Amino acid sequence: METSKNRTEGDSLDLTQVVSGDEVRVRHLNCAPTTCQRLREMGFCENALVTKIRGGADLVCWVCGTRVALSARLAKQILVEHVDGKS
Amino acid sequence: MSQDSPKRWIAVVGNPNAGKSTLFNALTGLRQRVGNYPGVTVEKHTGTAFTLHGEAVELIDLPGMYSMAARSPDEEIAVKVLRGESAGLPKPDAVLCVVDASNLERNLFLVTQVMELGLPVLVALNMVDVAEARGIRLHPDQLSEKLGVSFIPTQAHRGKGLVELRAALGQRLLKPGPRQWTMPPTLAVAVGQIASAWRQSEASELRAEGKALELLAGSNVGPDGARKLATAWRERFRKEAYDWSASVVHARYEYVRKMLGEAGIRSGKLGGTWTDWIDAVVLHPVAGWAVLVGMMLTLFVSIFSIAAYPMGWIDAAFVWIGGVMQGALSEGLFRDLLIDGILAGVGGVVIFLPQILILFFFLGLLEDSGYLARAAFLLDRVMHRVGLSGKSFIPLLSSYACAIPGIMATRTVEDPKDRLTTILVAPLMSCSARIPVYTTLLAAAVPVALVPVWGKAAAMLGLYVLGTGTAFILAWLFRKKLLGGGSPPLILELPPYRMPSFQTVSLRMWERAILFLRRAGTVILALSIVLWFLSSFPNTSADPTEKLAGSFAGQMGHGLEPILRPLGFDWRIGIGLVASLAAREVFVSTMSIVYHVGGEEEGLVTAMRSATWPDGALIYTPLTCLALLVFYVYALQCLSTVAVAKRETGGWKWPIFMLLYMTGLAYLAAWLVQVVGRALGFS
Repeated sequence: METSKNRTEGDSLDLTQVVSGDEVRVRHLNCAPTTCQRLREMGFCENALVTKIRGGADLVCWVCGTRVALSARLAKQILVEHVDGKS
Repeated sequence: MSQDSPKRWIAVVGNPNAGKSTLFNALTGLRQRVGNYPGVTVEKHTGTAFTLHGEAVELIDLPGMYSMAARSPDEEIAVKVLRGESAGLPKPDAVLCVVDASNLERNLFLVTQVMELGLPVLVALNMVDVAEARGIRLHPDQLSEKLGVSFIPTQAHRGKGLVELRAALGQRLLKPGPRQWTMPPTLAVAVGQIASAWRQSEASELRAEGKALELLAGSNVGPDGARKLATAWRERFRKEAYDWSASVVHARYEYVRKMLGEAGIRSGKLGGTWTDWIDAVVLHPVAGWAVLVGMMLTLFVSIFSIAAYPMGWIDAAFVWIGGVMQGALSEGLFRDLLIDGILAGVGGVVIFLPQILILFFFLGLLEDSGYLARAAFLLDRVMHRVGLSGKSFIPLLSSYACAIPGIMATRTVEDPKDRLTTILVAPLMSCSARIPVYTTLLAAAVPVALVPVWGKAAAMLGLYVLGTGTAFILAWLFRKKLLGGGSPPLILELPPYRMPSFQTVSLRMWERAILFLRRAGTVILALSIVLWFLSSFPNTSADPTEKLAGSFAGQMGHGLEPILRPLGFDWRIGIGLVASLAAREVFVSTMSIVYHVGGEEEGLVTAMRSATWPDGALIYTPLTCLALLVFYVYALQCLSTVAVAKRETGGWKWPIFMLLYMTGLAYLAAWLVQVVGRALGFS
C-alpha cells in the first residue's frame, strides 16, 4: 500500500511520494533545463494542479485535462505540495 | 479572393493527437495516416482544400508540437515550416490551429505562441463531442472575443463543423491583436529592447515581441543588432540565475487559465471514464503484462488459424491458373517463364497476403484504440534498462509492420543518441516481409500436420521475441558502450481510449495490401523473371537439378557454398539469400523458382523437405531450418531500410554499420545454432 511520506510542513515532497488519487500543486522542478521546460510546456509548471493517478516504477498523472506518463526518476525531481498547503 | 491571385498556404498546427491529420484529411479528401497516439505524423504533407466559395487553398499538415521550442526532429519540421524556413515550401499565409477541446489549457498555450508569428490565425475547436462528454461547456464566441481570433467547433472524425471551417477559411482571417499575457517586468524590458532593434525591419508589435523571444531562445535569424542584444540579455539572465523561459511558460499558462475561467470553461474531471477503467487493468504491473502477452499470442494464433482459409483459396487459384497455362500453352521457354518464373515467383509471395493483413489489422487496432502509448508505458522499465526511454518503443513496435515507418517514427524521439540507437535496432524487429519466410521455413522444419495451431503461433512468437530481445541487448550495447550517456526520462501523453475506427483500420489494411501486391507485381515480378533467366541459362542438361546447377544462378550458388556450408546451407539456399538481399520475401519466390513448384505453398514445402545433399542427407533438417530462421531474424535483407536509414541519419556511416553488424550477427548466430545443435545431438 502506497503511503505519503514526509508530509510534514516545510519538508519537500516529490511526486513519487504522493498517494495515488491525491491532488497536489507543483512547487518546484529540479531537473535538467530542457526537461524542465518540456515538463512546463506539458502543464507541469509551477503552481499547476496535478493529480497522481498511478504510482509504481513509472507514474501516470492527470494534468491540464490529460493523462501524462512519467518515469519515477523524473517524478522524483518534481517537488509538490498538497493543495491544503501541507508539503 | 480572385481566381488569378496566388494560392494561399495555410499551416495546420496543434498539439500531438489533437486531430490535425483527421481534419486535414476531411478538408482535402486525402488519406494521411491517423491514429490515437502522440507522434503519428512525423513529416509535413500538403493537400488542396476548397473554401465554400470554391477558392483552392493549400493546407500543410504538420507534426504535432507542444511548443515553438522544438525538442525533436518532428517538432523541428513543424517549426521550420511555420517560420518559413522549410526548403521547398513557401512561408504560410495563415495558420489553422487545431486544438483538443477537451484539453484547452495546454492546447491554448501553444496557440499563444503561434499567434506571435504575426500570421492570421484560425482555431478549429476539435473534439467538441469528447469535451462535452466530459462535462466541459465550451463557449467558442467568448474564446474568439478574448483571444481575438475565430474559434470554429469541429468534430473532424465525423465531418462536423467542416462547412463552417471552409466558410471561415474563405473569409479574411484575423491577425491577432496585441499580446494579452503579462510578461514579467524584467523580461519585458529585455524583450522591448530586442523587439525595437528588430522592428526596424518589420512593424507588427506582437510579431516583434515573438521574434525577440525567439532570439532570446537562441535563434540566429535576425539583424545583427537584435541578435547581439539578445545574446547580452541571455548572458545577463544566466548570471542572475533568472530562468526567463520558465517565467514565460508560467505567464502564458496563467493567462490561459484566467481567460478560460472568465469564459466559464472548466477543465474536465478525472475518473469514472472507460479510459480509467481500462487503464486500471492494462497499466497494472501484473495484469498489464498478461494483457500484452495475451494480445500478442492472439495475433500469432490468428495469423495461422484465420489466415489459413484465404491462403488456401489463393493457393487453389494459383494451382488452377498453373493448370490452365499448362494446358493452353505448348511446351517451351515461354511456358517455362510463365509457370516456373512468374507464377512461381509472384504466386509464392502473394499467398502470404492474408497473414500480413491480419498483422496490420491488429496493429491498426492497437494504434487507433490508444493502447500503443500504454504499451510504451509498460515497457519503459525494460527500455530504461537498455538505455532508452519507453518513447522509443513506439517506433520499435511500428517496425513489426515495416522498419521504414518505424525508422521514420524515431523523429518523435528527442534525444539524438536515443534516436540513433532506435534506428540501429529497429530492423531487428521482425517485419511483415519476414512472415512468408518464417511460415515457409517453420512448415519445412516440422510437418504441418504434426503441429497444432498454437504450436506454430508459439514458434512464430519465439522468433519475434528473439528479434526483440536481441534488439534490446544491442540497444544497451550501442547506447551505453558505443554512444555513451544516460537514458532520458519518460514523458509521454496517454490519450483517452476510443473505439477503433473501422474506416481507419480497413484503410490501413487496404493500403498495405495495395503496397504488397504492387511489390509483387513490380520488384518480385522483375526479380522472378531475372532469376528464372539466371536459373535456366546456360541450358546444360535436360535434368532439372543438373540444369539449375549449371546455370548462372547455380554457378553463383556453388561459388557461395564454401562460405555457407558451416551454416548448413547449400548452394540453392545461397541463391535465395543473394536474391533476397533486396527484399526478404524474395527468398520464398526464389526457392519456388529454384524448386520448380509453381505458386503453391505446399509444393515448395514438400520440395524443400525432400531436397538432399549429394550424399543423400536431407538439407532442410529441423536444425538447418532453425539456423536459416535465425539468419532471417537478424539479417538486414532490405535495401529500402538502408536507404531510409541513410536519409534519417544524414549519411552512409550508420547504414553501413547497420548492414555490417546485422549481416555479421546473422551469420554468427546461424553458425552457432548449427554448432550447438550438433553438439547436443541434433542433426
